[in-house]
Amino acid sequence: MSNKPPFLGFGLGLRPQHYSEILEGSPQVDWFEVISENYMIEGGQPLRMLDRICERYPVVMHGVSLSIASTAPLDREYLARLKKLAERVNSVWISDHLCWTGVHGVNLHDLLPVPYTKEALDHVVDRVSRVQDILGRRLTLENVSSYVTFGQSEMTEWEFVSEVANRADCWLLFDVNNVYVSAFNHGFSADDFLNGVPRDRVVQFHVAGHSHEETHLIDTHDHPVCDEVWDFYRDAVANFGPVSTMIERDDNIPPLAELVDELDHARSIAREVLGAPRLAAAE
Amino acid sequence: MTSLKELQESFQRGILAGDDTILSEIKDSPKEKRKVLFGVYRNAYVARLAEVLADDYEQVHAYLGDAGFAKLAKSYIAAHPSNRRSARDFGRHVPNFLKTDPAFAAHAEVAEIAALEKALADAFDGPEAEPLSLAALAEVAPELWTKLVFTPHPTALRVTFATNAADLWSALRDESPPPPPRRLPEPQAILVWRQDVTARFKPLGPEEEMMWDEAAAGTRFGVLCEMVATYGGEDDADFRAASYLKDWVDMGSLAGFRLAS
Repeated sequence: MSNKPPFLGFGLGLRPQHYSEILEGSPQVDWFEVISENYMIEGGQPLRMLDRICERYPVVMHGVSLSIASTAPLDREYLARLKKLAERVNSVWISDHLCWTGVHGVNLHDLLPVPYTKEALDHVVDRVSRVQDILGRRLTLENVSSYVTFGQSEMTEWEFVSEVANRADCWLLFDVNNVYVSAFNHGFSADDFLNGVPRDRVVQFHVAGHSHEETHLIDTHDHPVCDEVWDFYRDAVANFGPVSTMIERDDNIPPLAELVDELDHARSIAREVLGAPRLAAAE
Repeated sequence: MTSLKELQESFQRGILAGDDTILSEIKDSPKEKRKVLFGVYRNAYVARLAEVLADDYEQVHAYLGDAGFAKLAKSYIAAHPSNRRSARDFGRHVPNFLKTDPAFAAHAEVAEIAALEKALADAFDGPEAEPLSLAALAEVAPELWTKLVFTPHPTALRVTFATNAADLWSALRDESPPPPPRRLPEPQAILVWRQDVTARFKPLGPEEEMMWDEAAAGTRFGVLCEMVATYGGEDDADFRAASYLKDWVDMGSLAGFRLAS
């Protein structure tokens, strides 16, 4: 696969609560992921902090409003701002979600599910290609957690995701927690998903916590990663090899040290599964 | 088969308007009914935006309390579906909404506390500009000072309050008991701007308000001094004008100057 982004090691989401700890200390974090929309602003502390962090760490942008699967027109102004930010931070790759966020000018600020139909597939492939042309680089798309299944779906989620990646020639962000959550909610096998996506397309893992609502799981990113998700992460590392891994925490944000500990856990799992020499060679 | 476009429209109506048509497109899961599962999206929409509002309007939240703020969030979310990519902009209509919504309009201080919070938030991540320094001003030959025309810092914003909202905001921020809300005998001018990385505000007296507004409109310094003399008396007028100017430079609320032709 040409120009596959490098293995960055083990990263965290950049959160304002941790700015000074990151800049004053030297936490054992290999790279940071930033929420793109939070920095599509004109100035002030957030951008100044981001500039300083970019001087020390590789940074990857992760968006929540691209709405790649929406039937609304592409927002070219948003894409221009995204591209400008990517140049500013020298983003190693740019990711967003395989979902839609609204139509008719509305943004529901949620990662809404797509029916796995040929119509939706053609639509998404076309949009990804157009966005990649505008950005001048490949996109990285993440599988989302979902809570509903559409009666009209004609294929599995992993078949849909794989087709998008292969036909649009984009990268994949394999969200370990999202696969676990969706597998629980819809009753499919997480391993089938894992084995169903093209290995050479996956450039990043997300690992996160979720909430348990008895009959379904909700992707809340407000808990530590649970043992079951760590077990599935182990399977993912075994399947995909060394993939840049990031702990995603968006709510109930703990002190940085706690997240660094979780990240160390991911590191030790990868070391166990792959062996220290293979991991070191990838780095 | 329902088209992707129709499906998304129906899904969105299901979230925004409580329309259940979308349920016919959704299957029950092995463990749960479709209505409960779709409800995850309905609940998340309101909860997420209410959280955005609570983050953006922390002192309005403190002033109204949890129940009052929940009422505001519910009615605002229903009245203003988000139409921006960033949730950062979702609450931008809150001050105006509070001014006009029948449940809040009688309490003018609430809209003004919100207006102050919004102005501070806008200044916080507004455009960058190097503030004007005293050293740069000192290089201007004394005979040219009358021709100085100043440029406000791009984050500088003027608001005018009819109530003691600024005092209320300060007390709430300090977690002190807020003073009783009251309408002021004269409207109060407030200047909001960002100094380095901190958004600040300063109440302006009537003379300083007049001079700031004129300076921001491009009136040259010589005329500003004459206006100050007319406004507050000729004695020390130049000194007063120079003092206001020095304060603005010290505060970082000016970004530069040019010489009028």
